[in-house]
Amino acid sequence: MTTAEDLKKKVVSRAVRNVKRGSAEEDSSRGMFRPEIRLDLQRSRFFTESYRETEGQAMVLRRAKALANLLAKMDIFIRDHERIVGYQTSDINGIFHPIDQNWKSPKRLVNSKAGSSLLDEAGKKELDELCDYWEGKSISDRHQAAIPESLKKYWAYEGTFLWTQLSELGIPDYERLFETGLKGRIQQAKDKLVEIDETIPVDYLEQKEFLEAVIISLEAVINFAKRYSAMADTIAGKEKDPKRRAELEEISRICARVPENPPRSFLEAIQFFYFIHLVRYLEYSTLGIGIRLDKIFISFYEKDLAEGRLDRGEALEIMQLLWIKFNELGLVYSPTVSSVYGGVASLQAVTIGGTDKNGNDVTNELTYLALEAAESLHLIEPSIALRIHRGTPDELYSRALDVIKTGVGYPSLFNDESLLPLIEKWGVPPGDAKDYAVTGCVYIEIPGKNAMRRPVGYFVLAKCLWWALHQGVNPKTGEQHGARTADPATFTSWEDLLEAYAEQVAFFTNKMEQLERINLELIEKYCPRPFYSAVVEGCIESGKEARKWVYPSMIHHFAVVIGGVNVADSITAVKKVVFEDKLVSLPELIEIMDKNWEGREDIRQTCINAPKYGNDDDYADSIARIVQRRGEEAMESIKDRYGFSNRGDGSAVSATYGLAYDTPATPDGRMDGDFFSDSTLAPSPGQDKNGPTAVLNSCAKIKSIETYNHLLNQKFPPRFLEEDTKPAFMAYLKTWKELDIPHIQLNIVDKETLVSAQENPENYSDLIVRVAGFSAYFVDLSKGLQDHIIARTEQSLA
Amino acid sequence: MNGLVFNIQKFSIHDGPGIRTTVFMKGCPLACKWCSNPESINPLPEIITYDIRCIGCARCRDACPQNAISISDQGRNIDWEKCNQCLACAQACPAKAIEVTGQYMMVDEVMKKICDDIPFYKNSGGGATISGGEALLQKAFVKEIFHRCRENDINTVLDTTGLAPWEHIEDVIQYVDLVLLDIKHMDAATHKAATGVGNALILENAEKIAAEKRTWFRFPLIPGINDSKKNIEAFSAFAAKCDVEKVSLLAYHEWGAAKYEKLGRTYALEGVEAPSEKCVEAVGEMIKSFGLTVDIGQ
Repeated sequence: MTTAEDLKKKVVSRAVRNVKRGSAEEDSSRGMFRPEIRLDLQRSRFFTESYRETEGQAMVLRRAKALANLLAKMDIFIRDHERIVGYQTSDINGIFHPIDQNWKSPKRLVNSKAGSSLLDEAGKKELDELCDYWEGKSISDRHQAAIPESLKKYWAYEGTFLWTQLSELGIPDYERLFETGLKGRIQQAKDKLVEIDETIPVDYLEQKEFLEAVIISLEAVINFAKRYSAMADTIAGKEKDPKRRAELEEISRICARVPENPPRSFLEAIQFFYFIHLVRYLEYSTLGIGIRLDKIFISFYEKDLAEGRLDRGEALEIMQLLWIKFNELGLVYSPTVSSVYGGVASLQAVTIGGTDKNGNDVTNELTYLALEAAESLHLIEPSIALRIHRGTPDELYSRALDVIKTGVGYPSLFNDESLLPLIEKWGVPPGDAKDYAVTGCVYIEIPGKNAMRRPVGYFVLAKCLWWALHQGVNPKTGEQHGARTADPATFTSWEDLLEAYAEQVAFFTNKMEQLERINLELIEKYCPRPFYSAVVEGCIESGKEARKWVYPSMIHHFAVVIGGVNVADSITAVKKVVFEDKLVSLPELIEIMDKNWEGREDIRQTCINAPKYGNDDDYADSIARIVQRRGEEAMESIKDRYGFSNRGDGSAVSATYGLAYDTPATPDGRMDGDFFSDSTLAPSPGQDKNGPTAVLNSCAKIKSIETYNHLLNQKFPPRFLEEDTKPAFMAYLKTWKELDIPHIQLNIVDKETLVSAQENPENYSDLIVRVAGFSAYFVDLSKGLQDHIIARTEQSLA
Repeated sequence: MNGLVFNIQKFSIHDGPGIRTTVFMKGCPLACKWCSNPESINPLPEIITYDIRCIGCARCRDACPQNAISISDQGRNIDWEKCNQCLACAQACPAKAIEVTGQYMMVDEVMKKICDDIPFYKNSGGGATISGGEALLQKAFVKEIFHRCRENDINTVLDTTGLAPWEHIEDVIQYVDLVLLDIKHMDAATHKAATGVGNALILENAEKIAAEKRTWFRFPLIPGINDSKKNIEAFSAFAAKCDVEKVSLLAYHEWGAAKYEKLGRTYALEGVEAPSEKCVEAVGEMIKSFGLTVDIGQ
């Protein structure tokens, strides 16, 4: 058996380095990826080749054929350690970019400092040729051409929100796929074709084309697997080592069988899953995993164990091999998006724990094996989302803490008691809600449902407050950019400011939504997903491609909100300093802020020392609750394309650092461009002075049900989790659950280590930190982002 | 009723079992040279300075009726000889570079803070600890808090120097679940030299407390003061005689030294180094050899 240490050496990190901070360049000379990473053009090449051949055909068929062309022609390979196979690129250092969505970003990137090592001259030439084809045809081109002039300035990022044409999420219906295999889905599509031939529905042609595209896509995936089967067979023929030969023969047998047929063993089920996961990424720019790993694979594991085909040790090895596979996925993002994704590879999380649809605890041996695999490998992905509920066994808390103690930043804990009522409020029926899973960060989804979407954008609440203080007018240019809210000189209380803020939130949400509405129409028309449609529930059944309808809930459509805690602290400071203590008038305060507090450090200090959220102080916390609720209400007042409300989401990624660059000084005492509180529930850095219990008590006052799914980071030094203090820490987490706080993730690292790693990165290549909903290698982060993490309050022992 | 409190520390996990809230009372009859909370000694509110926060706005200078404060390029300077602790400077400072340590708090205010963390106590077997200074100097206030904790089903711990009239102790500990008692030196003369007071009453009270209540002795290990073999053995024998549940060995650290300057005082143990881990462990073993349970803390 290969040891975990040996396996780790097989990983090529595809983590993105943030080369931008908002609108500014940052550390771009380091490169956006590690030097060994190459932009792989196969997907672009074979998609383009197919597109050229299918001009004039229905788009859904063109998409299916493009995918089929890629899966039939891309170079494949099997690595010596592998028992689970499948790659998204033609070699181990590859990473791709979805050229059909956007060609300008990769082209700009490979010709910049940050991406110069990604492609050689021949590659650049080919990329140029491919880009020529996509000019005017990529979704990004079409979007820019389609948006009206008046909306263009909101499309261009200026600091209030970053709308992105980015990856989608989504969790296939693995449990049902395992029952029928893809052949069952193909049969279902064929049956549906027969049915519509008889009924001739009003959208007959559309349905027919879609169903044919489904069949093409699924057959392409089956054939893709069979290419691996044949390759494994060929290598096995030459293999001298009998053990490896047996493994290769096993790969060959398995890939001949799945995903066409239902899996029969644990390894078959894992390989089945991985092909679907991989092709989901290849079909359309994608993030996340989201599977409830312990729930969907346990029957295979138990059957193998009972029939003597597998033991626990081998199951752990398979799990470790799967973990390595997850680290092979990643995408090239645009440089601007890198300011949000500093340190991210593919933002993949698997979910463990929680309950089944009937509320019974699902904890099983695979729950523990997943933790064990993660602990042994210490990699940035996949993150583990552990669902905690009333019936979570103590042993699971304890094992989770052991993994957290290693500093890897996961499992991050999700509180069913707090989240289930929220998910139901979003319109998800209770049975489905209980099956929720976390795809990446704190993105919440319902497995198997057509509820996949993506973060529509990164939305800077603190900038909305800034607009409210300026009546929506940019003081530098005099341009009316936000809503024309009331003049702050007329405000008589903090509530007036709150209302102006809410108006700005609604205004910008609406702009973002308008951009998204056009995008959704375009991707429905130009980027249908026949493969993905075939692996979620309801598309083949209704003859409707996944973009033409949506699971009826507001779960699918959201914006990642950042800076909300700074808004709350700012409004609290205005209440205290302006309206109560009357130390300065609001217009005076705005003038001082606009000069970035220059010459008025005394006023800044007064604002900093006003009550702050996170200290279990009702003065600040009660305002924080109202501010968060009011912001969410404003966002929800804007409806999406399908008639559902927009909403917030706490998956801040590295945006609390990156996008804060473009927000000037705020009344909480924050300086121009300073980073925000690092998550939607976390106090501003250094402002929580009463310790970790006070932080949780403050968090508990912000109700999920009134807001959205939050994220909470807490940082503790490692000595906190030693044997003698572990019981107290367990009690801390149990209280976290009882306080109905939706989420918590823990950075177990001391400040000295981080500072030392910043100075001597070569000694800390393996140091992992939790950024927001994901973990990253500390050395991949820009100095500024490293400082952001160092600045987070380290909870201490008393 | 109010009491003078200089700190309420949430999430204390070394002041008794579980997760606790520790209330630190200001004022102490001892003045131990190594005291890491020197602000605990003076039984009145006083100013404490944080030079790093000073923005040089000179509001403190303007507010000082004694003209004790000057501002220069080197920052703010306080002439402690002139300072009469009127606290006006702290009130004027926008940056919290001068703060008041010691607040008169009502029992209700303290209880509110204690009760905020009840769920944490319940899950961890924790509760409230009252420490000092010497909590028993404010016995009526402390007793009332313990009484109210009992009514709220909150576990109670008293952390004391043991220096108080027995009647006061008796009156308070009726509401206490566990007593933490500091034994600094077994020799009366050395005790007086190091802390300003003798140890006769402390040892007498220690025996009585241990006979009545669950008791943990705390032994601060201070290099050059109480770390002789003779003293450690005498202490251990005493602890064994009192049959205490546990001995907490608290190794000396210099973390409190910086505070002396912030209060305008000088630190008597300047240059004394913390004992090595090995040394602390050896002392722990020595105490254990008397049949005692020992834990090592800070």
